[in-house]
Amino acid sequence: MPVFSTVLIANRGEIALRVARTCREMGIRTVAVYSTADRDSAVVRFADQAVHIGAPPAKGSYLNVPAVIEAALQTGAQAIHPGYGFLSEDPDFAEICEAHDIVFIGPPPQVMQQLGDKAAARSLMAQAGLPVLPGSMDALTSPAEAKELARQVGYPVILKAVAGGGGRGMAVVRSADDLRLAYNETRAHARAVFGDDRLYLERFVDDARHIEVQVLCDRHGNAVHLGERDCSVQRRHQKLIEEAPATGLPQELREAMLTAAVHGATAVGFVGAGTFEFVVTPDDRFYLMEINCRLQVEHPVTELVTGIDIVREQITVAAGLPLSFRQSDITLRGVAVECRVNAENPDNEFSPTPGLLSEFVPPGGPFVRVDTHAYPGWPVGPDYDSLLAKAAVWAPDREQALARMDRALSEFRVSGPGVHTTLGFLRRTLAHPLFQAALHTTGLVGAMTAEESDRDGDTSKESAPVG
Amino acid sequence: MKPDHEQRNSSDGNPPADGQVPGAPPVPDAVTRDAVMPDAAMPAGAVLDAVCRSVVRLSGTTAHPPSRIRMQDGQITVEVEWPDPAALSRPAPAAGAPVAAPESDAAPAGDGEALDYVRAPMVGTFYHASSPDAPPYVCVGDVVAPGQPVGVLEAMKLMSTITAEVGGRVTEVLAPNGQPVEFDQQLIALEPVDAEAGAGADPVAVREPAAVSGPSR
Repeated sequence: MPVFSTVLIANRGEIALRVARTCREMGIRTVAVYSTADRDSAVVRFADQAVHIGAPPAKGSYLNVPAVIEAALQTGAQAIHPGYGFLSEDPDFAEICEAHDIVFIGPPPQVMQQLGDKAAARSLMAQAGLPVLPGSMDALTSPAEAKELARQVGYPVILKAVAGGGGRGMAVVRSADDLRLAYNETRAHARAVFGDDRLYLERFVDDARHIEVQVLCDRHGNAVHLGERDCSVQRRHQKLIEEAPATGLPQELREAMLTAAVHGATAVGFVGAGTFEFVVTPDDRFYLMEINCRLQVEHPVTELVTGIDIVREQITVAAGLPLSFRQSDITLRGVAVECRVNAENPDNEFSPTPGLLSEFVPPGGPFVRVDTHAYPGWPVGPDYDSLLAKAAVWAPDREQALARMDRALSEFRVSGPGVHTTLGFLRRTLAHPLFQAALHTTGLVGAMTAEESDRDGDTSKESAPVG
Repeated sequence: MKPDHEQRNSSDGNPPADGQVPGAPPVPDAVTRDAVMPDAAMPAGAVLDAVCRSVVRLSGTTAHPPSRIRMQDGQITVEVEWPDPAALSRPAPAAGAPVAAPESDAAPAGDGEALDYVRAPMVGTFYHASSPDAPPYVCVGDVVAPGQPVGVLEAMKLMSTITAEVGGRVTEVLAPNGQPVEFDQQLIALEPVDAEAGAGADPVAVREPAAVSGPSR
């Protein structure tokens, strides 16, 4: 007897398919919802039932709360899995689900409310004893206030949207002269993207490592971590390569971060799967950046090293069951790496390149997992993000894992008129001496882009549409 | 009939048959020059043509296109309804509104012309009427005007009126009453009606006489 008989998946793309797969393994009937642009999508084909909920722009479909709720009511879904992005961190949506006797597979609305306000979450976690970077404890009210605070904190600083996430709505400011302009621009961006123009500010750490801790909590007071992930390879604050565990972290530092994450989760009454994102400075200090109340894009690397299906745990926890393991039952084994294959042109500032996929052949072979919704003939549309596939590999050690990933990416065939991918760029990153030596930081992609523009004869050839 | 809808018949104030002595023959003198009376000598097609011309003339007498035209063959009855601007949100048809007209032996509706569809603006439950007791907003054969209510969509306990974006004659109500519908689902099929109605041009394209008949009143 499955925990739920029917689960609706309020998402699209690879993550909707990934959630549906676990549901099927659990004997749960799946309902997909889709926009007009996704009528032929992989999850629509896979799911037991699919409901057309709106027009391509997310506002009319994947962010359309009444449409999603109606679809759940019509199909008899007892629970909604929100995936990541879209409604996944919307406390109002979680509350509306509750009001309709639909289980929202995620933390309680109050917890999402508290942690969704990134400025409030900072002060909340500071009170719980977690280290946070020097910066604002409340939303900023004016450029003048921001300027004064930046002076106290010291440049460089980073301005972030209170309602932000996913690497969007932030700007690094290196001098007082640039602050006002950056403040106004980021605010306008935050208003447009998140419908909330409040900003906060904290010190920015150059050449940092981005390390995050996966936590799982049930409704019975149990909270565990599933180890950490290194997500330092980023462009424009968007992750490109993630790995577990983080190589080269001093054991004490690692333990302190894992403990801090579980402590923070317990302090706010967290339920479900969450991620504590930390920045680790070059002198091995760590600070909390933010907490994500949802499944993370890069969760497969944690699944590969722990053997735990995080989506399955999310579902059982949402059904009120206790976690099926204790911290001591969790052992990490080997190394997992994930590469995000995006339909983007790395030579044109990673701008998205929509188009029809005439060829799409994902890699296979031992210890390779590809999460994707793409297939030959799939139109990569302009309405959603550019993620095409996540290629993840496992190996007993990092050296083998990197070799395996390079082998997998070399097998990957993606092409179509106008379509570019990050495949070539990913392989160059894997081969970079700093990455190979696990000495890379968040500055790696910027440095590589600069290096490559110095010798552009090479790059133009390599990053032509990857075939 | 609903008081908020203007009704006329083809004989301009001279109701055919109904008010007359049963069995009394039609009185030719009473027929105005605009009216049409059934005549055994007139072939069915000619009668229909004449009726259509009358309808065209009638429907052109106001600035607004008619919201509904009902014809009955035999003892010819033609009803034309104009939408009352103040009553646009109220249900239009009266009790005894025509049920689905038999179309099987009729010329295909909108032969050669693409149908327009009223589509669901979002996921929800589609209702044909404003309440369980109320008559449906539209029935097959009704002519609807742009903006005219044609149904109700319930989503999260919120009722929204669905209106026709374009005018036309209802050829089919595709979504059953009280059934869940998806975004963009076709709810009602409309065939275009002659845009020149009222201009005194060609008669409105109508179906064969058999199909035109509604229930007798």
